[in-house]
Amino acid sequence: MSGAPQQGMRSAFRRWRAARPFWGGLLLALGGAEILLSVRASLKVILHVGMQGLAGYLLPTLMLVLGLLIIFSPAQRLFYSITGVMLSLGTWVTSNLGGFFVGLMLGVAGSCMAFGWLPDQEPRRSRRQRRREAREAKAAHPVPPGPEPA
Amino acid sequence: MASSSDVNPSAGNNPGNPESGSVPEVPEASAASARRGRVRGRRAAIMAVPAAAVAAGLAILTAEGALGVQFAISGMPFTVTATELNGTGFEQFGGLDQMAPGSPNEGDTGGQVLVITSAIKNATLTKLCQSVDLGGTNLVITAGGGKDKVTASDLTTDSTELSGNAAFNNIEIGNDASTLTKAGVKGPIGVFSQQADTVYIGDLRQTNYATTAGVFKLPGLKLGFGSKGC
Repeated sequence: MSGAPQQGMRSAFRRWRAARPFWGGLLLALGGAEILLSVRASLKVILHVGMQGLAGYLLPTLMLVLGLLIIFSPAQRLFYSITGVMLSLGTWVTSNLGGFFVGLMLGVAGSCMAFGWLPDQEPRRSRRQRRREAREAKAAHPVPPGPEPA
Repeated sequence: MASSSDVNPSAGNNPGNPESGSVPEVPEASAASARRGRVRGRRAAIMAVPAAAVAAGLAILTAEGALGVQFAISGMPFTVTATELNGTGFEQFGGLDQMAPGSPNEGDTGGQVLVITSAIKNATLTKLCQSVDLGGTNLVITAGGGKDKVTASDLTTDSTELSGNAAFNNIEIGNDASTLTKAGVKGPIGVFSQQADTVYIGDLRQTNYATTAGVFKLPGLKLGFGSKGC
């Protein structure tokens, strides 16, 4: 968080990560991968069961893809995260109770983080500090430059 | 939330106005490294609250038996037990499951596992218990302990062990597996098989090796981890 530009891979990765909902996308992709691992049924059985069996593969695969898209194409994150949360919830029905609940929770948490992510935010401060600054700002000018409505 | 959806973090489209647009791609600017994108709690809650409500709703509907869920487990052996199984449309035939070449699970089997494939068109199970050994801990799913029974359709299991007290109605033994008709699954040609109109198995215990696929309705669902399987 220091103002001085740092050299090296770490700071470059840090900057790259700061420009996208990295953790949200990663969690969503991990959730999809976990569900895929828990399914792993042979394709022959899947084809026998038909469309419903295919959905068991399709939904977690799409979760994986959407998670990666959130990371690599963050501008579209609202669409990706809304679709991602729906798919995550859908895996409850189609894929082993959402990969025995683990993958479903990862997917929902990741989608929510991607949805709630905003670029270009002030550095994180404690709540108390925020309140005090808001009070001071109010004392200075009657209309506070309030934080962005959530 | 509409106020920020037009902000494009990757494009960095208004470099001349760093106050309103986001330009984190400019590494030299000291403001860029201080102003990072991050998750706003209230914004995330807009989605988290309804998502949690839907997840809870799905779990409740499943536990009430109103919603069927699909299982397709493979790769890990898992155990299914039930005190009672009643089914209509039953087929059973032998088969050989081939492991991937060089699989560490091969042991002395030569990479092949003899499995019994059982298919039941419609089944009703009492006190279903299903456990998967995750190495050290077991994931245990129980359902159907109350007055509502577990129902399953198009249940297909490949098992290595199957025990219980069975009774069949209208059984045909010794058919060719490719001519089976009762449950809609066909086995490989030239393999011994049997089929029956109805099946009853008491104290069912099944060790399933490869796959199961079917739609389950699980009233009274409980999902948990335990040191002991079924």
